[in-house]
Amino acid sequence: MSTLDAALLAAHAAQDHPALVTLYARAAAQTADADAACFYLTHAMVFALELGDPRSEVFRAALVAQGREEAL
Amino acid sequence: MTMIPLTTDLTRVRRPLEQAHGLPNAHYTDPALFAQERQAVLFDNWAGLGVGADVPEAGDARPVTFLGMPLLLLRDSTGTLRVFQNICRHRGMVLVDAPRKIEGAIRCPYHSWCYSTQGKLVSTPHVGGPGRNTHAGIDRALLGLIEVRSHVWMDVVWINVSGTAAPFAQARADLIARWAEFDKPLHHGGPDSRFELAVNCNWKLAVENYCESYHLPWVHPGLNSYSRLEDHYHIEAAGSYSGQGTQVYRQLTGADGAQFADFDGLDAKWDTAAEYITAYPNVLLGVHRDHTFAIVLVPEGPERTVEQVHLYYAQPDTDADLRARNTAQWKDVFEEDIFVIEGMQRGRHAVGFDGGRFSPAMDGPTHLFHDWVAAQLERHRRTHSAG
Repeated sequence: MSTLDAALLAAHAAQDHPALVTLYARAAAQTADADAACFYLTHAMVFALELGDPRSEVFRAALVAQGREEAL
Repeated sequence: MTMIPLTTDLTRVRRPLEQAHGLPNAHYTDPALFAQERQAVLFDNWAGLGVGADVPEAGDARPVTFLGMPLLLLRDSTGTLRVFQNICRHRGMVLVDAPRKIEGAIRCPYHSWCYSTQGKLVSTPHVGGPGRNTHAGIDRALLGLIEVRSHVWMDVVWINVSGTAAPFAQARADLIARWAEFDKPLHHGGPDSRFELAVNCNWKLAVENYCESYHLPWVHPGLNSYSRLEDHYHIEAAGSYSGQGTQVYRQLTGADGAQFADFDGLDAKWDTAAEYITAYPNVLLGVHRDHTFAIVLVPEGPERTVEQVHLYYAQPDTDADLRARNTAQWKDVFEEDIFVIEGMQRGRHAVGFDGGRFSPAMDGPTHLFHDWVAAQLERHRRTHSAG
């Protein structure tokens, strides 16, 4: 298991949503696969949305650019 | 097993006061009639659900179960209070399971569909497959949270579940006009000014007792020492509300002579008057020169009710000791009523009881409530037998 996977599992277990935003964004940045990146970006966006974290707009914009999300 | 009567004879209830009987026993004990009244009386009208003070700040969310329905009181980021069904439009999962602050969006704990505090669906993760958050078959504009028609007045959150009642301002026009002088900011006294009383009775019995002053000298002898029966008057607005008023309200005074501030601009009659009204179906209200209260009756079953009591003042900052005394005073009064309403509930299991008779002189406000409930049921039964 990679360090990132372990950190994600730990953040889920601790319900540390701010950490999940950061970790999923990092996971998206680390993959070259577009589908995988959009999967991770989706999670980053969802947890950011829940927190009212303005980064949700950045993640949404990236997903919209990939045709994977609707603009608000 | 007893046969469940879905129709009861209400003709005697609807007679003039002098000849009328109360609602039949089954209206206090029968689950099928409880369900019928849920629709005809509580869902088809403007019923009290809670108070604005339950969600005082932007983003505050409070789940409430009302007559079995999971609802959500939600104050959005601009301060507007709305009521929604507390379920996700995806698989019907309950969204919020405890009071909390919504910082950004409401995320369903099941598949993470997200809703804004205005109820708009703002994300449907993976709905089109992994990493694909849209699908032609999912129109988010049509899948916001299901809003329940609501209105806030006297800080009470009123809901009309069926959506068929006249607009609130029209349905309550008489009462709003009667108490226009109190239509100003009401400041909830805070945690020491709210309490609940769980009572083993049908919710209607709490209304019936509240509407009349007849019982005061017997059940509340402490009140009677200064507010005698002859100081009270009936309040009777057929089809809308009823209750009682007193002409000798006396302000609470602290040891140092301190009193609560009055509401601004009241007519001189309120120097000594106070009024206690049931806004049909389930909200008991009281107004005085220096405070108001609201009691939302939450029916939990044919023989179980929770009374949610809230006290309000004219100013945001009030003396804590005086406020505590006022809460304690009212709690004593409402607790004194419990043995009566629970006693009447047990009485409703007496086979052959005919609903009881009313004092033609003293029970007019209570009969008006019975008559109104009967009218709601007749309307409902006509509608549902027509087709």
